This record gives sequence, C-alpha cells and structure tokens, in this order.
Amino acid sequence: MSFQNFKSMFWNILKFEINYRRKRPATYIYFGIFFLLAFLAVTTDVVKIGGSSGQLKENAPTSITFMMLVLSSFFVMITSAIMGVPVLRDFEQQTESIMFINPIKKRDYLFGRFFGSFIVLIFVFSGSFLGFVLGEFMPWREADKLMPFSLWNYLQPFLFYVVPNLFFSGALFFAAGTLSRKMITVYAQGIVILMIYMVAANLISTIDNRIIAGLIDPFGINTVSIYTRYWTMAEKNTQVVPLAGIVLANRSLWFSVGIIALIITYYRFSFSVIQNSVLKKKRKIIETISIINTDVVIPLATQKFTIANDIKRVVKLAWFYFKNVVKEPAFIVIVFTGIVLLCVNADSFGTMYGTQTFPVTYEMLQLIQTFTLFFLIIVVFFSGELIWKERNLKTDQIFDALPVNNAVTLAGKFFSLVFIYIVLIFVLIFISVIIQTIKGYHNYELGLYFKTLFSETFLMIILYTLLAFFIQVLVNHKFLGYALMIVFFIASAVISNLGVEHRLFHFSSGSMGTYSDMNGYGHYIRPFIWFSIYWVAFACVLFAVAILFSVRGMDTVFRKRWKLAKIRFVRPVMIFMFSCLAVFILSGSYIFYNTNVLNKFENSKNEEKKQAEYEKQLKKYQFTLQPKITDTRLKVDIFPEERYFVAEGYYILKNKNQKPLTEIHIQLNSDFQSYCDYLTFSRPAKLKEKFDKFYYNIYQLEQPLQSGDTLKMNFKIRFVTKGFVNSGSNTNIVYNGTFFNNLSYLPTLGYSADAELSADDKRKENGLKEKERMMDRNNPVGLSQCLLGDDADRINFEIILSTSKDQIAVAPGYLQKEWTENDRRFFHYKMDATILNFYSVLSAHYKVLRDKWNDINLEIYYQKGHEYNIHSMITAMKKSFEYYTKNFCPYPYRQLRILEFPRYESFAQSFANTIPFSEGIGFIMDVGNEDVDMGFYVTCHEIAHQWWAHQVTDANVKGNGMISEALSQYSALMVMKHTYSQELMQKFLKHEMDSYLFGRSMERKKEMPLEMCENQGYIHYNKGSVVFFALQDYISEDSVNLALKRFAKDWAFREDRYPNSADLLRYLEAVTPDSLKNIITDMFKTITLFENKTEKVKSEKQAASKYNVTIDVSAKKYRADSLGNEKPLLVINDWIDIGVYGKDVKGKDKLLYLKKHKINKSQMTFTVTVAEKPLKAGIDPLNKLVDRTPDDNVKSVD
Amino acid sequence: MQLIIENLSKTYSNGVQALKNVSLTLNQGMFGLLGPNGAGKSTLMRTIATLQEPDEGTIHFNSIDVLKQKDEIRKILGYLPQEFGVYPKISAETLLDHLATLKGISNAKERKELIKALLNKTNLFDSRRKNLGGYSGGMKQRFGIAQALLNNPHLIIVDEPTAGLDPAERNRFLNLLSEIGENSVVILSTHIVDDVKELCTDMAIINNGEVLMRGNPMEAIFSLEGRIWSKRIGKPQMADYKKNFKVVSEKMISGKPEIHIYSETPPGEDFIPAMVDLEDVYFSNIFLKN
Repeated sequence: MSFQNFKSMFWNILKFEINYRRKRPATYIYFGIFFLLAFLAVTTDVVKIGGSSGQLKENAPTSITFMMLVLSSFFVMITSAIMGVPVLRDFEQQTESIMFINPIKKRDYLFGRFFGSFIVLIFVFSGSFLGFVLGEFMPWREADKLMPFSLWNYLQPFLFYVVPNLFFSGALFFAAGTLSRKMITVYAQGIVILMIYMVAANLISTIDNRIIAGLIDPFGINTVSIYTRYWTMAEKNTQVVPLAGIVLANRSLWFSVGIIALIITYYRFSFSVIQNSVLKKKRKIIETISIINTDVVIPLATQKFTIANDIKRVVKLAWFYFKNVVKEPAFIVIVFTGIVLLCVNADSFGTMYGTQTFPVTYEMLQLIQTFTLFFLIIVVFFSGELIWKERNLKTDQIFDALPVNNAVTLAGKFFSLVFIYIVLIFVLIFISVIIQTIKGYHNYELGLYFKTLFSETFLMIILYTLLAFFIQVLVNHKFLGYALMIVFFIASAVISNLGVEHRLFHFSSGSMGTYSDMNGYGHYIRPFIWFSIYWVAFACVLFAVAILFSVRGMDTVFRKRWKLAKIRFVRPVMIFMFSCLAVFILSGSYIFYNTNVLNKFENSKNEEKKQAEYEKQLKKYQFTLQPKITDTRLKVDIFPEERYFVAEGYYILKNKNQKPLTEIHIQLNSDFQSYCDYLTFSRPAKLKEKFDKFYYNIYQLEQPLQSGDTLKMNFKIRFVTKGFVNSGSNTNIVYNGTFFNNLSYLPTLGYSADAELSADDKRKENGLKEKERMMDRNNPVGLSQCLLGDDADRINFEIILSTSKDQIAVAPGYLQKEWTENDRRFFHYKMDATILNFYSVLSAHYKVLRDKWNDINLEIYYQKGHEYNIHSMITAMKKSFEYYTKNFCPYPYRQLRILEFPRYESFAQSFANTIPFSEGIGFIMDVGNEDVDMGFYVTCHEIAHQWWAHQVTDANVKGNGMISEALSQYSALMVMKHTYSQELMQKFLKHEMDSYLFGRSMERKKEMPLEMCENQGYIHYNKGSVVFFALQDYISEDSVNLALKRFAKDWAFREDRYPNSADLLRYLEAVTPDSLKNIITDMFKTITLFENKTEKVKSEKQAASKYNVTIDVSAKKYRADSLGNEKPLLVINDWIDIGVYGKDVKGKDKLLYLKKHKINKSQMTFTVTVAEKPLKAGIDPLNKLVDRTPDDNVKSVD
Repeated sequence: MQLIIENLSKTYSNGVQALKNVSLTLNQGMFGLLGPNGAGKSTLMRTIATLQEPDEGTIHFNSIDVLKQKDEIRKILGYLPQEFGVYPKISAETLLDHLATLKGISNAKERKELIKALLNKTNLFDSRRKNLGGYSGGMKQRFGIAQALLNNPHLIIVDEPTAGLDPAERNRFLNLLSEIGENSVVILSTHIVDDVKELCTDMAIINNGEVLMRGNPMEAIFSLEGRIWSKRIGKPQMADYKKNFKVVSEKMISGKPEIHIYSETPPGEDFIPAMVDLEDVYFSNIFLKN
C-alpha cells in the first residue's frame, strides 16, 4: 500500500471519528461542563478549585496550572468515556463484522480512531482553557487581584500539563477498551490511576518520599506542588511552571506509558471477529439428548404471599445480588485498590517530624477514612448497576412480570449493598487489626471500631445509597444518574460557599466529630443521632418515592409512570411515606429548636459583618486609657457532665496611668453561651453605654480613679450549654478534658483588637481598610504592654476550683487544699509569685506521674493508657531545667505540671507552672532510636516559655515572636543537641527548614525578617530554629547563652517597658565577633537565602591514610523582599562549612572533615586532606544556611 | 377460565398506534396470535403480562382486573418474553430457584422438586449446573419455558418463542408447548404460521394493531377452500400479475416464483387450484384487507 493510500485511509477514519463525535450532544455537553466550571471558578465564589488569597493573584500562572490540572484529572471519567469507546463501539453495536471485512489496515483503523478521538478530547478539555481565559475579562474581576493578562500563562499549562495528561490517560483507556472490549475494564483502570494519584498525594507529606511522589503522580498535580513548594508569592505570580527537573521526569514517564500503551494495543489488537475477548474463551455446551420427557409430571408447589414471606424474599434477593456484585471484576478492583491505598498510607499516618504515632484505634479509623472515597464509588456505581441489572441483562421482562412488589425488589437490591458495606467494614477492621499487629501494637479496641464505622461511616454510605437509588429510578438513565450523583456531591460542597451553612440543608450532615481517647465522641453523639434520624427519614421518603416510580415493564414516559405511581400508592406505602415524612419534619424541628432557638445560628458572612461592625463602632476606644488588673481571685465551679461552669470572683484594678480615669470599658465574652450575672465595682459607678450586640459595656465612675489608686471589680460569669449547635460546637468545656483560659471566657478591659476581622479580602468585602498585623516595633503603646495585651502586667493569682467527683481540676499556682463537699471535689490553688494575666483551667479524669528535679516538683497529668511518652517527657523536663537554670536564670516557681487535653486542638501552651498539652502531639508517638521525639521537643519548648515569655516577657510589637518563640525553639534545640545524635538533630532541622520554606511560599500577606515577624509561625518557630541553630554554630553555644543570660538579667519581670527584638539583638551582637557581624544581618534583619552548590569533587590518594580532596563549589547569596522577589548580592563574603564524608564501620555516613572556609567568590575550589577514603563532599553539607535546593550541596566523589 | 380483552388501544409516544380497539375473548387451551413483525402482538402480550399500560380498554382474567390488580395476575402468570437475557454466570438451577422464590414458592423442598421436574421436562437436567451464558438458543428458550411454568400458571404468554430456532429445536419446543396448554389459557404469539397450525385450536390474526380475523384454524382454511389459486411465473411478469390479481403470497421454488392468488372464481391463465394452507389464510388476511 502506498503512502498516499495510507494517508487517505488514516485520514478517512480520523475524519469519520471526528464527524461521529461532532454529531453527538455529549461532546458539547462535556465541553460545556469544562467551560462553565472554569468560567465560574475564576469569576464567582460558587465554584472553588484551589483558588488564591492574599497576595497570590487570581491569575497567577501557578494557580492557573493547578486549576487546569485539577479539572483535567478530576474529570478523568470524561476522558474514559471518550477514549475507551472508539473501538469498543464497533463491538457493542455489533458492526465489527461489517467494519472489519472492509480492506482497512489495522494501523489506519487503530490510529485513525485514536487520534480522531484524541482531537475531540482536546477540544472538549479546551473548554476549561477558554473558560479561564474568558473569565479573566469579565468586568467584575477585581484589578488588584489580577496580574496583567498573558495568553501564554494559560496556553503553557494547557499544552504542557493538560494535553500530556489527556494523551497518556487517553492512550491507556483506549488500550483497555480496545483490548478487553469491556467498558468496565476502562473504569477499573480509571480507579487504579486515581489510586496512584492518592498514593502520591499521601507520600508528599514525608520529605524523603517526595521524589517518588513527584514521579508517580499520573496527573502531575503533586509533582507541580513539589516543584513549586518553595516558590514565593512573587514567583508564583510571575512564573509559569517549566518542564524541568521532577516535572520533566514525571511528564516523560507518563508520556512513555501512553506510547507503550499504544504500541501494545497495536500489536495485541486483532481484526478477527471470532475472538470474543482477549482473556477468555467461552465454552458452549453441547447437548446430546434431544427427546422431550413427556412422562415427567410437574408437581404443584404452593405459593405464599404473606408479609413474612416478603421479608424472606427481600433477604433472598439481597443475598442473590450480593453474590452477583462481589463477583463483579469492577467491584473487586475497587475494593482491592482501596485496600492497597490504605496499606500504603499505613506507613505515614500521624507523622510528625518523620516520626509516626502508635497505631491507636483512632489513627486507624482516620486511616480507614481513606477508603471513604471507594465506598462512595461503590455506592454510586453499584446502585446504578443494581437498578439497571435486569434491564442490562435484558431479563427485565421476566423479572418485571413476577409477583414481586416493587418495594421487595428495591429493598432486596438496597440490602444487598448494605450486606456488602457490612462485609467491607469487617474487612477494613480486620486489615486495621493486622496493621496494628504488624506494628507491634496490641491494644485492639474492637468496640471503638464498630462504634465508629457502624455509625458515622455506615450511615453516610447508606444515606448516599438511598439517594442514588432515588436518582437512578427517577431519571431512569444510568449514566445521567451517575452524572447527577457527582453533580450532587459537587453541589453539596458548593452550597456552603453560597451561604447555605445550616446542616439541615446539608445531606447526610450527621458528624461524630473528632474522637479523643480522653473524651470519646463526647457531646457529638447527641446531635449525630438527631441528624441521623432526620436524614434517614428523608432518605426513606426518597426511597418510597423510588418505589412508586420505579420502572417496571416498558412504560418509561413520565405520564404513564405517574399513573402507575398513583396505582402503587397504596395504604402501606402511604403509611410508610407519611410516617417518614413526619419523623423528618419532627426531627428537623427538634434540630432547629436546638440549633436556632436554644442556641444561636449565624452564617459566616453575618459573623464577619458583625466583626466589621464591632471595629467600625468601637475602634475609637482602642486607646482609651484603662486600669490594669493586679490581682485576680476566682471561684470556678465546673460541671463537666453538663458542660457548664460558673466563675465568680474579683479583679483588683489599678490605675497605672498618669491621668485619672473616669470610664471603665468591659468586654464580656461575646459567645451566646456566656452570661454575666453581675459585674460591679467597689466604687460607685453607673453603666454609661451598653453595646449589647458586642457585649461591650462602658461604666462611668462617679469619682475618677486617681493615678495609683485601685478598685475592685466583682463579677459572676456563667457558661451554659443547652442542647446542641449547628456547627463549631464548643470543645473547651467537655465531659472529660475541659481546658479553657481566662482571655476567652472572662471579662477583659477595653476594646479588643484581636476580635477584628484579620483577612484583608474579608475586610475589603466589609468596607474596611487593610490592617497591619501588629504594632510597629518601636510603638510606645506596644512597648508598654506585654504580648498578651494591655489588661495587666503581672498579677497575683488565687483560685478555688470545683469539679465532679471523679475529675481533677487544675489551674496555675500551688495546691493549698483539696476537699470533697456535696459529692464534688474542690481544689484551692494559689501562686506566691506574680504571674502573667493568662491562666488555664483544666478538669479531667487524670492519672498522675510525679517526679522531682532538685526542689522542683514535676507532674504529668495524663489519660490512662497514654503512658508511652510520659517518661521521656519527664526526662525532657529535667534536662530543660538543668540547661535553662544553668545557662539563663533561675526558675521562679517550685513546681511544673504538664496536663493532657483532648485532641480537638493540636498544641501545647505554657501557663505559669502549668502546661496543657494536646493528646494529639506527643502522648502516643512511637519513638524509635533514630526518631525525633515530638513529646520531648514540645516539652522542652514549652518549659523554655517559663523563661521566654513568663520571665522575659516580650512587648506586643512586631518581632516579639523572636523573643518568646524563637528563643524557646533555641532553648529546646540546645537540650536536644545535648541529648540526641547529630543525625537526629539534622533530621529535625531538615523538617524545620522545609516548614520555613514552605511556610513562606504560602504567605498571604508579606514575609518579614525574623526580627520583624508578625505572629507568623513559619518564621518564629521554623526559621527561628534554623537561624538560631546556625548562630550558635557560628559564634558558639556559650556566646549565645552568655548573651541570653545578660538579656534575661536585664529584662526579666520588667513591667515599665517590655523588650522588643532590637533589645535582644543588641545582646547577640555584643557577643558576635566583628568578622561574623554580617550573619546577624543575614539571619535576623533580612530575608537572606543561599544557593550553595557543589560542582565537582575529586579525590587523590597521597599515601595509605592520606587523601587530597578537591572540591569545586559555587555559592550565591540572595536577599528577598516581603513578596519573595529575590535580588542576588554582588558581594559574598561569608564563612561557610566545607565538609567531606566517608563511611563508618556500619556503613553510615561519617564526617571526615568539617570546617568553615571563607567564601568570597561565587566559584571557588578547595583542597582538603583527610585520613580516610572520602566518598562525598560539599559546601554547607549540614544545611545550616537557608537554601532552597539543599540537596545539591553535597556531591559524590567522581 | 377466560381472558377477556375489551377495546384495548395503545399509541406510542412516537405516534405509532400499536393497538386499535382490540377485543378478544380467550378460553382454556392454546390460542395462536398470528401477525407480521410490528403488528402489535408484543404490545398486546406485554399489556396482558402487566408490563405495559394501554391508553384505553380493559383486560380481565376470570375475576381479576389485569390492569389494576397487577400483583394478582402476576401470581398466576407464566410469561416468556420475545427476547430475553439471563444472568450469564449463574446456573439454570440457581436462577430457577431464585425465580421460584420470587414467585412465592417458599418451601425449599417443594421448590427443589418442582425445579427438578421442570428441568427434566425441558430436558435441561444434565446442564442444570452449567452457566446460562453457555446455553444455546434452544436451551435458553426451554429454560424460558421452565421459568414460566414455575408457579403452575393459569395464564401463559409465550411471545415469538420459535423465532431464531433451528428446525429441530423448534420441533422440540413446540412439543413442549403442546403439553402445557391443557389446563390453562395459553397465548402463543408468532409470525410463523406453522406454529399455530400445529398447536392451536383457536387463533387470531392481527396486523397494524387490529384484529383481522379470529377463529379456528381449520375452519379458516376450510372457508378459503376453492378460492386460492397458484401458478409458477417468470420474474419479469410479477408486476403484471400483482396489478391484475389479488396476489396473496409469492414464494420461490427452485429459483422461480410461485404465486397464490385469491379469486372466488377460477381466474384462468393456467392458474391451478391450490391446496389451501393456513398460510393462505394468513396472507389473504394481511394483504387483502390492507
């Protein structure tokens, strides 16, 4: 055949394919879906795909890339629908005999079909491209959220990311459809691809797995996020994601997969019509006898149509369909992939700093959540399959003419799925228990597994199954039914964005909340039960409607179905439907009564509006002078089982200002659950103005409070829990594990700037100007108050707590007395030294571990069963005391307590001699010898706060985090450094570096240098660690400690003026030699990054134990502005480590040489001599300096 | 035992009128419903089998109002649809057991015996454990009749059961049918005249949704005696004959057309009297009444 001939044949088939698709409405519907989603995503809040905020522009190239990638992978089913069928179609429509007898070459046929469909596929997906581009020109787009338009920013991701995705997935689907000739294989393949994506998404959380994650992600979403992980706002806004590095590798890999799939298809495909399937040959039964047995008498069997028999038939049907479904290859594939995913993820759940938690039951339950998606796939897919089962097999006429009620048939199908769910849940539990066993964990809480999976999970899938049945029956079109289910899922996610936040409108909205070993499912159970009743009743109504309208026989016209439905609407159905409806309405009313009458329901837009109004009306009082609290005495009665407490007592207020005061401004807790029974003053005063909406009261003193004078403020506050709320239910006051602090619940003084709206876009929506996150570093107002605000300096503190008989209640101070009265336990705590105006109240059923360091009592209050890490916490306490008292200053208290609280929050917080510590971050860590011990680290950090914050209290200005947080990081690091190996420290710092670099890439507003940080965790914690560790490496630990000792001596307990970062820097500068002064600028005063790289390493053996190592390095140094725009520094003049590695006897890396060398050119060569065989060498091998590509610092010897 | 169909009409949404005011009364025994493809046979069958709603009319079986008391009629109905599929990966025995349960036969022992008998009857006993996917057309059809008989039905509807069967299978199947028609009302719809000739004592011819003729097949043949004439002609003359005579049927015999015409008097032109067959009844009804 001539080339000309091939060409025309190929083109003809290609054209045929395109023309065929051109006439199909589906092509345009798909296109429309993409266009609309893309258009709506960029022009409205209705659809959110990724999205941007703060400084990230809406049309930033990286955002566009992500949105396109998400769309192209989320709708991979459309790819499968288009690419799976080109050849399959000929078989399904049984035109293959006609097609294949034509003299067509296989090559022309296959590739014509493939590329024809592929062109259509690109057309369909170009809908997203057009939607995004067109969306940019809509007049209501806000100019300040956009970069100037660039077509390339849209074209590049479409060509480099979307089209390759389409190619490889299209090729795979085409291969599967062509070779297996079954659509189900195509879908199964889609699910496997999805699983690989999810594996990648999971691997990305672990630093060391990122390369694999980036390679294997079929869609490249994780690959792009790994590639751009450290990109700053400026880079994200201006640069397209190039095909380079890991991205290039990933794209090439999957492109090759596509090519291979096509090649295999070409070789395996055969025109032969007889070949039915690649896998199986069907066997025909050959009959031998052909006489009719006339002598057989057919016995008479009795038919029974009782209700009992109906139930029996439901069970029979369920079992029948159950067997049918579990034998389906698609089902097996879905379950198998789900389980594989679960097992893969089992290796990384609960990971913190590379260390996993023990596989406690709730972690396993969270792991099982991975399977939820697969449950939903089963729900959607097999509901449709079962509803259509008989019709697809064309056996519907037999089944429809059987004397079986529609209700029985549908119930049979429904319960077959229910059986499947039950079996799957058992399988999941079994797998979880195996995982626990393999990991050496033997506390099997089977009860908890059952309780969780058979309530929340089970109900959710059952509700969606009923919904799917309803939709499938009503629309009476299988694929439309699938599509509608997916639309329903999307719509459910979207309606919150439209302001529909009440859970009465969110299908299947029952939630058991977070499980805590301390509090179980706590108070979440009651609302869960009510919402479950509500939705089950609703779903039953849907099911009843499905019974009425289910198609039986040939009539599919709605008019006929309506007529039949009326006939079917007999008494039992009527009773069932109306009773469900009644339950639905009654339970809904009861929920409404709880959420909206007993409690308050407000959607978030209104909440934000209220916050804005607060600011607009009361901001004028921000600097109104107020007295300060000097003494607090309280009696707090906690009733955990009612989630209720009463706090009664007084503050002593002192006028510390120069001028007399006439007004006292009181801000009460604005939570609707909080009531103030009274608030009085020891001097005559009257309520001058009351802002009920904001719980803000202004009292006028009859006689002004003179400078230095005091008065007493008495009050009684009640916190009451009634019924349940719609969302955001209070997790501070709970059945077991109450933990709250004064700032959130007790009266405060004056306007509270913390209550203002902080996100700039929200502020703009509400007509407010952008807001600075903190006061300027030298603002005298800020310098006159501590980090906690202007309510107090240091206070005297005494408290009497009472709680239920089985709980222990704790607050800062020393226990004076403990007694029981009226079946309640009382505790009297008093502090003999002053504390900050920040105290916690805790109450739980605790076990206590006691120890001592010198004269200081150490105590850990923990949940029974959480013994794993408490002894290492005690060690951390002792080592911390040892180090901090020796190197900084004495500890002002006689006791230190750590108290566990439920994992509704994941932090630990330092109060005077009291450290509440979340059960989620250090009580259940499975710490091996080479693992970072989270509990140890957090303990050291929080104890350090007893120095940095509680003794040296930073001012309420920019950069204060450098004192309280970064110094606590430094202190903890030093304790760790003297406890752990160098490798472990490096591992820890690697995570810190990663968190810092990732944190700055996610910055919404502006990145600040450490000395100016504005409560930015990634700066004061993560950069703080990196920078301070490097600092002590450069100027020595002793010098840093000397500076800190002097700093503490001068600034501890001061109330006249609080220190800022400039104050701290002066002490650090004083101990830094002139030759290293520049590091202070690099580390603290600027955002400085290095780009250090080793180009070449050569080694020459000089003698038996003498090697000359020649190392070519390059070093660049950058300064970044607050958005991450980098400028290279022309002059580099730094001391940087040069290191050489060999191997020790165990085969591990061993440093043979490490010394700082002066780097003053961007390209330099060093030659060092080592005594052992060198293997690797490089510049800054321990990654002490901030470097965005730390991996190229070390290179193997050539 | 009587099935009374009165004034049944049905028009599909695409405008095709499938049934036009059909009224029939069927008694115990085998009733043949003869008509070409698309005549409305299946619509009528499905309507009786509760699978389709007519626009107008009523159907009563004894005291059961078929259109309203669907579940009542289903209890005593045996239905073999024109085309049907099966669960390919399930054995005949299992599927029969499943269907028997659904037909209300709750006693497992009874069910077992019944199925055994039916499998024997339909000569499927040896392949009872084989998956239905491997069954031949005839076996599948026999399976179809076995399932229809599970509940000892009083009303049996078999829609085009012999279409697509080879002659041997067809014979076997008709033998089977002839046996079951004794104690119930059996409606056999077909477009194959011989099926009716061989089995039915009563019949109706239906075309374009209308009943053209009803009665005993033998009587119908008898009534045409002497009015059907045949002749072998050349292909080119066909058009002339069609114009000049009432051509009832034409078939090729050894490559040459033989035509049957209807004429009350001898038509001459070398026509000879034909042996009247049910086929002539059928075709004369179909073609001449159009």
